[in-house]
Amino acid sequence: MQGLRTEEFQVNMGPHHPSTHGVCRMVLTMDGERVLKIEPVIGYLHRAIEKVCENRTYVQCLPLMDRFEYVTSMATNQVFSMAAEKLGGVEVPERAEYLRVIMVELNRIASHLLFYGVTAMDIGAYTPFLYGLRERELIIDLFEETCGQRLTYNYIRIGGVSKDILPGFEQRCRKALDTIEAKLVEYEGLLNENPIWLARTKGIGILPAETAIAYGASGPVLRASGVDYDVRRDDPYSIYHKLDWKVPTQKSGDCFDRYMQRLDEIRVSIKIIRQALDGLPEGEFKAKVSPKFKPAPGECYNRIESARGEMGCHLISNGGPKPLRVKLRGSSYNNLQVLPAFGANCMIADLVAIFATLDVILPEVDR
Amino acid sequence: MGVLKDIKNLILGLTITGPYLCRHAVTVQYPEEKRDDIPERSRGVVVLLSDKETGELNCTACELCMRTCPTGAIRIKSHRDENKRKVLDSFVVETALCCYCGMCEEACNFCAIKMATMYEFSTTDINDTVWDMKKLQKYGRNVPYEDTRKKKSAAAEKPAPKPDAGKPAEAKAEEAPKPVEGAKPEAPAASDEKKDETNKGDEQ
Amino acid sequence: MNTPILAVGELLPLFQWCYGLLQDIGLKSPWMEIVVYTLLATGVFCLLALIALFLVWWERKIAGHLQQRYGPMRTGWHGWYQTVMDALKLLQKEDIQVAIRDKGIFFWAPVLCFTAAFLAYVVIPFGDGLIVADLNVGILYIMAVTTLTIISLLMAGWGSHNKYALLGGMRSAAQVVSYEVPMAVSVLVVVLFVGSLSMQDIVKSQAGWIWNWHIFQLPFGPIAFATYLVAGAAESNRTPFDIPEAEQELVAGYNVEYSGMKFAMFFLAEFINMFTVSAITTTLFLGGWNGPFLPSWFWFLLKTLIMVLLLMLFRWTYPRLRVDQLMKFAWKFLVPVTFANLVIAGWFKYAGWYW
Repeated sequence: MQGLRTEEFQVNMGPHHPSTHGVCRMVLTMDGERVLKIEPVIGYLHRAIEKVCENRTYVQCLPLMDRFEYVTSMATNQVFSMAAEKLGGVEVPERAEYLRVIMVELNRIASHLLFYGVTAMDIGAYTPFLYGLRERELIIDLFEETCGQRLTYNYIRIGGVSKDILPGFEQRCRKALDTIEAKLVEYEGLLNENPIWLARTKGIGILPAETAIAYGASGPVLRASGVDYDVRRDDPYSIYHKLDWKVPTQKSGDCFDRYMQRLDEIRVSIKIIRQALDGLPEGEFKAKVSPKFKPAPGECYNRIESARGEMGCHLISNGGPKPLRVKLRGSSYNNLQVLPAFGANCMIADLVAIFATLDVILPEVDR
Repeated sequence: MGVLKDIKNLILGLTITGPYLCRHAVTVQYPEEKRDDIPERSRGVVVLLSDKETGELNCTACELCMRTCPTGAIRIKSHRDENKRKVLDSFVVETALCCYCGMCEEACNFCAIKMATMYEFSTTDINDTVWDMKKLQKYGRNVPYEDTRKKKSAAAEKPAPKPDAGKPAEAKAEEAPKPVEGAKPEAPAASDEKKDETNKGDEQ
Repeated sequence: MNTPILAVGELLPLFQWCYGLLQDIGLKSPWMEIVVYTLLATGVFCLLALIALFLVWWERKIAGHLQQRYGPMRTGWHGWYQTVMDALKLLQKEDIQVAIRDKGIFFWAPVLCFTAAFLAYVVIPFGDGLIVADLNVGILYIMAVTTLTIISLLMAGWGSHNKYALLGGMRSAAQVVSYEVPMAVSVLVVVLFVGSLSMQDIVKSQAGWIWNWHIFQLPFGPIAFATYLVAGAAESNRTPFDIPEAEQELVAGYNVEYSGMKFAMFFLAEFINMFTVSAITTTLFLGGWNGPFLPSWFWFLLKTLIMVLLLMLFRWTYPRLRVDQLMKFAWKFLVPVTFANLVIAGWFKYAGWYW
């Protein structure tokens, strides 16, 4: 093809787009069908959560934390509560810890089911979206009967959880877990061996482990590239060290591995929840914490493993009822910044697949 | 052979989605059909609760909910009457600002405010989203609740309500500082002191 | 009486009455033929419009039930007149024309697409004797006419004066052109076996018991059926081959600048194309209108709708292929397979082996 003059042109994959999950703008430099350079432009969903938190008491900050990352809002509540508890020296009762673990793991399953549906839809299979959401309804019904809301729960509080579970919760939870486990087999049969799915995801968007570590990626993105790191096991918090579970990893870090990693994590979460339900002790579900909660002056950084990776909260207190500074580390922010490093030199259709499997949630990026 | 395996896997995909043509749909045709299993704790719109006997508002204008609300959706105006007791003048909730977190319900010690399970209040006029005391009380009349307040004697305030809140609060009002174990009418002086204590921001 | 080549079978008395009437008025041929054929063509056009309406509704219901939901429910019983409402809505939309340089091409592209889609129905046998004109080059005529849609895609891409629409249109045209080859070669297998290009002859050669159907003529029958179906799905831009018009992709399709009724033309043409592919599959491989006891047009419709259902199941189950994978699949897999199939069929015919 010598003598054929080609030109690069810039295309704007704008904030309004069906397959950028949220409002993410990407400026692509393309040569025909091939994407040479990706430049994400973020900030379209910035709501100044961190600044607003400076004018709210610690207890009032918690509903705001829900909106920081609304797909896994149990985890966002937990990261802030744990940071405040560390500063204030609050001891969380055992039952509350078990309840927290159950809720956060259920939320992780719900988030991964949503990921499954949305990724399949982006790659062209419209039906798994509805199937994933159908199973997610089971979990959300459990949440609604416990705390009253379906998306922004405001359930995990400083000192424990806000309400105790209802009497039949355990049976309903186990039934939901059994249903989800059975349906996972169906989901995998629909997509895992499908030659079209394999052609679209295997070998596409390979993220090397060193690149992932260098950019601070975390969560399923990191583990799919082969790095065996999970905050729940390596920097243990709550009761994870008491339960018997293993961290799954994949080998090559392509799109298919990131997709399989999340399905494996659903299975691990189901195992954790079953053990937590078995060992749920009686007792208080919340320590007594004054609404004018005033932790001692100081700062602390607390991190947990949310569905997307390491979520952190850096809390600085000056002894008053309102925090001096709340800095939130969203895992999607770091996961998104890896995209230009390994996503270039792919085709447009592959870019859609890569972006979908990174599972980026824009509120976490923009805060 | 790879081709036969691919064909077999494609047909497998069809056998997973195909049988759904013969299964019932799981969706509900809203608004003709509605879910009838909305949980009791579901956080819908804010309402003000009234006493089951007298029909008056339970609210004592302690303003705890106003201070707890993260968005400032609650606005309370009150004054002190000749007995130095607070009287509620106006209680306004801006449902457009409300973030449905449920913290007002948890802060209240007097079973005065609750998040009911009703949710269908869309309107085309933004002024309709500001609910005044009358509207809040109207929608709160049919909301069932457990009366877990301290039972006051007949002397200074309302007549002692019947002991219908005999069981300890387990489903709601877990943060009520003194759960009621059966109806216990108390002396007015003692109840006045307790009310002042709660005014100062009690344990939650 | 001078009846033309069609009108054998169930409609014969009706045609004889018509001809008698026209002769009484005083019409002579060729005017008589012109009037009759015009009426026939209009009749087929109306029938197809109804079929298109039905297919759009059916697709949405099938999609809904596959996803365990209902689909349209509000417009009539289970939403049966949803398509009519959609058409009325599209009629009311503003016809946006933004800085179009070549108004002629922009205007005529949807017209050509729509026309090309309908032209194929001149030779499709809806039943025993129910065919507008049983040309003796029937299937060749269909191949020729369905290729006209490629020109309309290119016209749509060019006339939109939008570089992304142009790219999308060219990709679409490349896809359709590539899949014409396996489609034509699969059809050749059947023509080789039957020995005639005429559609009615092809159907009549499958008369008798069910194993006379061409799909059961092992080993080349099922392969030709499968390749024809896949190539036909790609021709009408259905998933898994709908990259040119998928919303999730960045480069929008050829019909991005069209609004209102012009867009509806492209949309309806896609469904008509889908029905054409199913109808031809039925005619060539599944015995056409042959069937016991019930009227022939009933069997034709039943078999065609089953094929349409299969195409819809493909759309709602499988993800979509990338453009280069699509082309690779056509040229590196389908074309060699279909040519090998043709050689095998030729060998069988030469050696005289029949089932």
